[in-house]
Amino acid sequence: MKVDIISEWTGEIGEVTIGATKKEGGSRCAAIVIGGGSGFPFLGGSAPGRKPLIAFEFCDDPKLWSPIVTEFEGDVVNDAGAWAARAEERHRPDLLRFYLTSTRRRGFQEFSQVGRSVEEVLERATLPLIVEGSIDPAIDSETFLRCGEAGEGERLLLGTAEEGRYRSVAAAAMAYGHSVIAQSPIDVNLAKQLNILLRETGVPHDRIVIDPYTGALGYGFEYSYSAMERIRYAALKGDEDLAMPMISSAIDSLNIKEVREADPGQRGEMAVKWELYTAVSSAIAGASVVCVRHPDTIVPLRSAIDSLWGKTGGGD
Amino acid sequence: MQDVEKSSFSGKAELLKMLDGIEGEFSYEGTAYHLPVTYAITGRAIHTGDEARSAYEDTGGNPLVAAECITSFEQAMHGKEEDPYTGFIVDSVLRKLGYSLVDGSILGLALLAGTPPRPDTAAAICRELQEKYILTFLAGDVISSLVESGVKVGAEYRLVPLGKQPLMGIHFIDIIARVAMMFGGVAPGDTDRLLRYAQERARAFVIVFSGLDEPEIAVYDAFGLLGIPILSVDGYEGKEWVQVEAGDAVGKGLDLKGIRVTVTAIPIPMACSPAFEGKSIRKEEMFVEFGGGRSPAFELLRSRPAEEVTDGKVTVIGPEIEDIREGSAVPLAIIVDVYGKTMKKDYEPVLERRIHNFVNYGEGTWHVAQRDMVWVRISKEAVAHGVRIEHLGELIAAKFRIDFPDLLDAVQVTLITDEKKVLEAKEEAGLIYEERDERIRGMKDTDVDTFYSCTLCQTFAPNHVCIITPERPALCGAITWLDGKIAYEISPSGANQPVLKGDMIDEVRGEFEGVNRFVKKASHGEVDRCSLYSILEYPMTCCGCFECIAVMVPEVNGFLIVNREYTGETPSGMTFSTLAGTIGGGAQTPGFAGISKGYILSDRFLQAEGGIERLVWIPSLLKEELHDRLVQKLKERGIESLFDKIADEEKAVALEDLIEYLARVDHPALEMPPLI
Repeated sequence: MKVDIISEWTGEIGEVTIGATKKEGGSRCAAIVIGGGSGFPFLGGSAPGRKPLIAFEFCDDPKLWSPIVTEFEGDVVNDAGAWAARAEERHRPDLLRFYLTSTRRRGFQEFSQVGRSVEEVLERATLPLIVEGSIDPAIDSETFLRCGEAGEGERLLLGTAEEGRYRSVAAAAMAYGHSVIAQSPIDVNLAKQLNILLRETGVPHDRIVIDPYTGALGYGFEYSYSAMERIRYAALKGDEDLAMPMISSAIDSLNIKEVREADPGQRGEMAVKWELYTAVSSAIAGASVVCVRHPDTIVPLRSAIDSLWGKTGGGD
Repeated sequence: MQDVEKSSFSGKAELLKMLDGIEGEFSYEGTAYHLPVTYAITGRAIHTGDEARSAYEDTGGNPLVAAECITSFEQAMHGKEEDPYTGFIVDSVLRKLGYSLVDGSILGLALLAGTPPRPDTAAAICRELQEKYILTFLAGDVISSLVESGVKVGAEYRLVPLGKQPLMGIHFIDIIARVAMMFGGVAPGDTDRLLRYAQERARAFVIVFSGLDEPEIAVYDAFGLLGIPILSVDGYEGKEWVQVEAGDAVGKGLDLKGIRVTVTAIPIPMACSPAFEGKSIRKEEMFVEFGGGRSPAFELLRSRPAEEVTDGKVTVIGPEIEDIREGSAVPLAIIVDVYGKTMKKDYEPVLERRIHNFVNYGEGTWHVAQRDMVWVRISKEAVAHGVRIEHLGELIAAKFRIDFPDLLDAVQVTLITDEKKVLEAKEEAGLIYEERDERIRGMKDTDVDTFYSCTLCQTFAPNHVCIITPERPALCGAITWLDGKIAYEISPSGANQPVLKGDMIDEVRGEFEGVNRFVKKASHGEVDRCSLYSILEYPMTCCGCFECIAVMVPEVNGFLIVNREYTGETPSGMTFSTLAGTIGGGAQTPGFAGISKGYILSDRFLQAEGGIERLVWIPSLLKEELHDRLVQKLKERGIESLFDKIADEEKAVALEDLIEYLARVDHPALEMPPLI
C-alpha cells in the first residue's frame, strides 16, 4: 500500500524575532528568528521550518520554584542576575526565560523591583530574553508596564496573555516593541480567539507566539500534542490567525507523582527524564521553542534535537 | 457669544501673521516625531520658519500645523513654562500613556480649555472625569481656577496642566498624532489613515469655556477634522460646536465618543465562557428543560425606545427554579428588549441569534435552535450552586452589553415561565418572525453578486460553512441573507462574511467559483465544492441546527422532509434525531441536507433534482404550518394539485405504504427521471 503524504499546503507559519543586537538598538548577542516553514516536521516533501530552540527557565523568587532545581543550582538562585549569567555560560541554552515569581506572592506591591530585576538580567546575560510577568489582573497593569519599560529596545518575548487578561501584556508589547506569548488551555478555537483579540488590540501577527499549554507526559500531554498538531494543521491550511510559531513548557514535569515520590537519590534524574521526553515530543509536534527548568535536561535535549533535525538542519 | 465661523475665519488670518514671525531653528526635545502633528499630516520634519510656512501652505492652511509651529517656536525661544505646566510631553511619558489606553486603565482623553465661569464648575467636571477613568489635559485659565478651588493637578491625578494659554491645547493633538503613529501603525504623511485612526479609535473630546481668542477658536475648530467633538459650556455658537450645560458636558462627551465603563464580570453563581459552548447537558444531568417540543418556548429580541428599557433589569414572570420539580419541562419566553442610538430594527434577528451563544457560554446552561423552536436546559449542578432562572436573564443582558458596547446602550430581559402568558406572548412573537421573513421574500439570488457565510456553529462543527443567499436562508432558519449582510456591518470580523459569487460553474446546481473558494478556506480545506441548489451533488455541509432535514427516498424517486418538532418515524426508516446524528457535525452527505423551513418554499429548493415536484412526504404539522404559503407557491407554478399528493405520517409511515399511496394519487415524482 502506498501512502501519500500531503506536502502541498496553502499556508505558512509566520516568523517572530526575539532579541535585538547592539546594532538594532538592544544589547543581545543575537536576534533569533523562530517559526517559518510550510509543513509538518518529519513528513518530508515540504519545508518543515527551523530547528526548535531550547529556553532555560529561571526566576527571581526561588521559594516559588521546584526545590529539585534550586538545590541542584545552589546559592546562585538567590540572585537572578547571577543565575542568568551562569545559566548562559554553563547550561548553554538558546534563550533565557525569566519568571517574575516574586509577583505571585499575595499582596505584591514592589513594582520598582520588577523593572530592576529585568534590567539586571539584561545586564548580566546576553541571550535573547523571554520575561514572564504577573498572573493576577489586579497587578498586571503595573507589572507589565515595568517589564516593557525595562526591556525597551531589547525585543523581549513577554508572557503571558490569556483570554480575559491580555490587555496589559499587549499594551507593553505595543508600547515598547516586544512580542507576546498567547496562552490558551489546550483548545485550538480558544487559541484562535485570543489571537484575534490581540490583533484587534493592535498587536501584529508577527509579534505573537502561541502557547497551547503543555501538560506533562502522562498527565495530559497527549491533549497538548493534539492541540499543537491541530493549530499547525489549521495554519498550514491557511488560517492566518493560527499561523504563529509555538512555545511549549511542560512546567508540571517537576511536580508529578513519579518525580515527587522517586527515591531522593534518583529524583533529579527522574525530573530530567520527564522534562526531556516531554520536550522532545513537543518539538516533534511543532513547537519552535521548548523550555526546561533542570539544567541537566539541556544537553540530552540538544543532542536529541540535533539527531532529528541535523546539527544545522533548518536553523539559521 | 462668539460666532465660531466668523472668529475662526479671522483667527486663521492672525495665525498666518504669527507664522510669518517665525525664524531660526526650533524643535521639540525628547521625541522621535519632530513636530508630531505636522509630521503625521505631511510626513515632513520641520525645523525652520520657512519649512513651517511651506508645510502650512501645503496643508491648505491647516490651523493645527500653524499652532504647532508657533508653539514649538515659542518654546524654543523662551523655554518651557514654569511648573506646574508641562508644555510638550516627551515620547517616554507618552508611551506610558499609550500603554494605559491599550491596557484599559485609561478609557479616554479629555481636554478642558478656557476660563470657567466659576471655579467649582471646572472642579466638578474634573471630578467626574477622574471617576470615569478619563485622562484630562488642561489649557488656559482653567488651571489656575482649579488650583484656587483646591483641586490638585498633575499627571498623578490624571489632570495634566499643559500651559497657561488655551493655544497650548495643541499638545493634546500632538499626543493623539503620536499615539496614532506609535500604536496605530499610522505612517507619517498618511493623512487618510491618520484621520481614520483618530476618528475611529481616539476616544477623545474637548470641553471649552469662554476666553478663547480668535486664533485659538480657529485651532480648536480644526480638531473636528480628527473627529474630536468640541463641547461648549459657554461663550461660543455655530459650526459643529455642541452647546452643553456644565453638568452634562462629561456625559455628552463620553456619549459622543462611545466611551463606556464596561462590565467585565457577570455576577451569577456560574462560570461563563466560550469554553463551555460545546458542552451539552444530558437528560440525566438536567434539572429543568424548556421547549424542545416538550413545552412551549420561544425567544425574541426587540428594539425599544430608551424610556422602555431599564439597563440590566431582569424580570421573571411565573415559577422560579425553587417552584419547579426536578426533571420537568417548563414553558419559557425569553424576551430581550434593547435600546441603542445606532440600533436598527433590521439588526434584531441577528442579535437574537446571539442568545444561542450566550446561553451556551454558561457552564450549566445549554441552548439549541432558535425562535419558537428553542430548547434550553439548566443542569442539576448549576442549580445546586444556586443558579436560578433569573440568572439566565442576567447572563444574557450582561453578555449583550459586553459584546455590543457600541451598539447597545441598555438591555433588559424578561423571562416568562407561566404557560398562559408564554402562549400569549408567543403568538405576538410569531407575527414578528413572519414580518421578518416577509422582508426578504421576493429577492432573488440573481439580484446580488455577494452571498454571506455563517460559521457561527464551527465551535460544534469545526468544518461547517453555511452559505446564505436571498433564496436560501441559513439552515437554522434564523439568518437570512439580509441578516448576514447586517451582521457583517455590525461586526466585520464576525462569523458572517461576504462571499463573492464569482464565475458560475453550474447554473442548475448553483455552483459558483467564488463560493467554492470561500468554502474551501472556511472549511479548512475539507470541502472543495458546494452546490447551493442540489442535495445530490456536493450539497452544503450541515452543523446540527437545521430546522428540517431533506432526505432522498430513491424507491419513490423523490425526497421527504422531516422537521425537528416531529419525533415519529419517517418512511426513510429513521427519526429526525437519528438522521440528525448521521448528517450533522459539518459533513457533506449527498442525498441528505439540513435546511430551513423557509427554503422549502424557495424556487431554488431541489432545483437540480427537478424542484418541489420531488417532494413526497412531510409531517402533517409542518404541512399545516406551511399550508398557505405552500399552496400559493404551487399555484404560481401551476401544480396546485400537488399539495394533496404530498403524503404525511397519517397517510404513510412505512415505505411500502408510501409507495402505494403515491401510486394511488399519481404523484408526479414517480414519472420524473430517476434520481440515481
